[in-house]
Amino acid sequence: MRTGDYKQSYGELVALIDSPPVWLWSAVLLLALIAAPYLLNSYALSFLMIILITVTGALGLNILTGYTGLISLGHVGFLVTGAYAYAVLVSKYHMPPLVGFLGAGVVPALASLIVGAPSLRLKGLYLAITTLAFSFIINTVILEMRWLTNGARGIQVQRPEILGISFDSDAAFTYLCLAFAALTLFATLNIRRSRVGRAFVAIRDNDTAARVMGINLHAYKLFAFVTSAFITGIAGALYGIYLSFVSVEGFPFLLSIEALAILIVGGLGSALGAVLGTILIVLLPEATRLVFSLFSAQMDATFATGAQELKSMLYGLVIILFLRFQPRGLVGAWHDIKRTWVHWPLRY
Amino acid sequence: MQYLLQLLISGLAIGAIYGLIAMGFAVIYKSTGLVNFAQGEMTMITAYIAWTISTTVSGNVFVVATGAILAAILLGLIIERLVMRPMLGEPVFATVMVTIGLAVILRSAINFIWDAYPHGLDIGMGRGIMHLGGIGVRTGQIAVIATLLLLLAAIWAFFRYSKVGVAMRAVAADDRTALLMGISATKVHALAWAASSVIAGIGGVFFALSYDLSPAMFQLGLKAFPATILGGLDAVLGSGLGGLLIGITENLAGGYVGSGVKEVAGFAMIIVVLMVRPFGIFGERDIERV
Repeated sequence: MRTGDYKQSYGELVALIDSPPVWLWSAVLLLALIAAPYLLNSYALSFLMIILITVTGALGLNILTGYTGLISLGHVGFLVTGAYAYAVLVSKYHMPPLVGFLGAGVVPALASLIVGAPSLRLKGLYLAITTLAFSFIINTVILEMRWLTNGARGIQVQRPEILGISFDSDAAFTYLCLAFAALTLFATLNIRRSRVGRAFVAIRDNDTAARVMGINLHAYKLFAFVTSAFITGIAGALYGIYLSFVSVEGFPFLLSIEALAILIVGGLGSALGAVLGTILIVLLPEATRLVFSLFSAQMDATFATGAQELKSMLYGLVIILFLRFQPRGLVGAWHDIKRTWVHWPLRY
Repeated sequence: MQYLLQLLISGLAIGAIYGLIAMGFAVIYKSTGLVNFAQGEMTMITAYIAWTISTTVSGNVFVVATGAILAAILLGLIIERLVMRPMLGEPVFATVMVTIGLAVILRSAINFIWDAYPHGLDIGMGRGIMHLGGIGVRTGQIAVIATLLLLLAAIWAFFRYSKVGVAMRAVAADDRTALLMGISATKVHALAWAASSVIAGIGGVFFALSYDLSPAMFQLGLKAFPATILGGLDAVLGSGLGGLLIGITENLAGGYVGSGVKEVAGFAMIIVVLMVRPFGIFGERDIERV
């Protein structure tokens, strides 16, 4: 029985999905997600919205960090650029929302060329720090360009109406997020199996070797930056609409860390990993709160007063524990379980 | 002219603090090959501990200084032993992400243990104002510049002449060969973490003396990044000097252009520098083989 990713032919390597049952599971999941807005209460629905928006952003970062191996600590910069591009176009200049979403993708993509170009010569940690610098510079630029962005006051954003369909209600907006998340998932899976995606992975694994094989490092690195920023920008626009208010404070630096945490916890370089990681990281604070409240009312009170601190402490702890004990993330754990299930009681 | 000199001197003072923290980065990078993203948080914890000592035990300068240094050593050793040592041999990305996780934990722990309000660290000195040729300077600002210069000299001598310093350079250059030569890499790493924690902690305490203690202090770590990148991650002395450069640049940009620009002047500067020299001004170029 097949138990792992054993690719035996070239066709298998570029297949969208490994095995037929996955299509079935995906269809079931999609149906469940379509039914969800009618079944969930508004509290649970807000988590679903956040998960779908975060998945979109995490998949965007996954192209850059997971596939191409370029560490970005400044992805919140693209997120906030996307949100502002949408807010300025739609709220300020009254463009149709579709144009807004397009702008939310294109503007960060252009910005990524600015940060991507100097990054071509940089590697590893130097690159991480340049992207970090970029996200701080973006924040300052936004605060200084008051005529366009209202500076620190931020911009109010309405839920959009696209092609005559209003996405004003939570359920409708969830569908919009679902559409974007599904589209992004499909797109990134396709990028991964295409010529471009395999070039990305080659660069990640050994860039000098990839170059010897005839891969144009500069072009592909820039392309990774642009695609990643495009997707992240759209996630930023969705997040801005979800918050119904776009401001620099709405996009704290911690989001960059959170995004990397999602990739690590899920499994770096895997689209499935980005999805699983998102679900875990988004639901982690809520799950912890539930566990705490089970224990005692007093612990619940501690959690309520120091909730923000405990929440971020958990992020840190989860990142460290995963890197220490399961560096391949949830996807790696899933592969291990599958293998154990088939081979038990043998170890291999 | 007066204005320019004033900007230069306060730039040097804040730059010396950046320089100290940047040296903390460089010491760890030089001996373990990783960037410690929790440096700002470690700086901050030492400053908070110094403040706690000064308010609860004694405000005496020597008591506070000794306590803070001991606490910083302990902090560095604990982090190395509990968090970093198990990650030995893992890829750089993983170990660096661990320090990011650590930074997040420490930052929230500070808010959790102490409070979110600013405090002044008062040990009876450092806040007095001296007049140098008509320019008012705080004694603390003079002291931090002097401390940075002294430490630079001491560290240069340490890496150049002491056996331990040479061992640290050996581990950084090639840890396997160093191991074969009988150098204990774990001891060197522990020493590096303790030393880095102390050097950065001194910067933190001086910052608290001249300005204020607040939960936003972890940003000092981010501000010191440009300094250490400018100097070169593997250049301890270069990082100290890079700090002075960044401090002056920031202050001049803030004084003549605008306060928004002041915040990012350092970051803009490193992007420019890295485009020209991707390994910093004083850093060494890596040679890679496939």
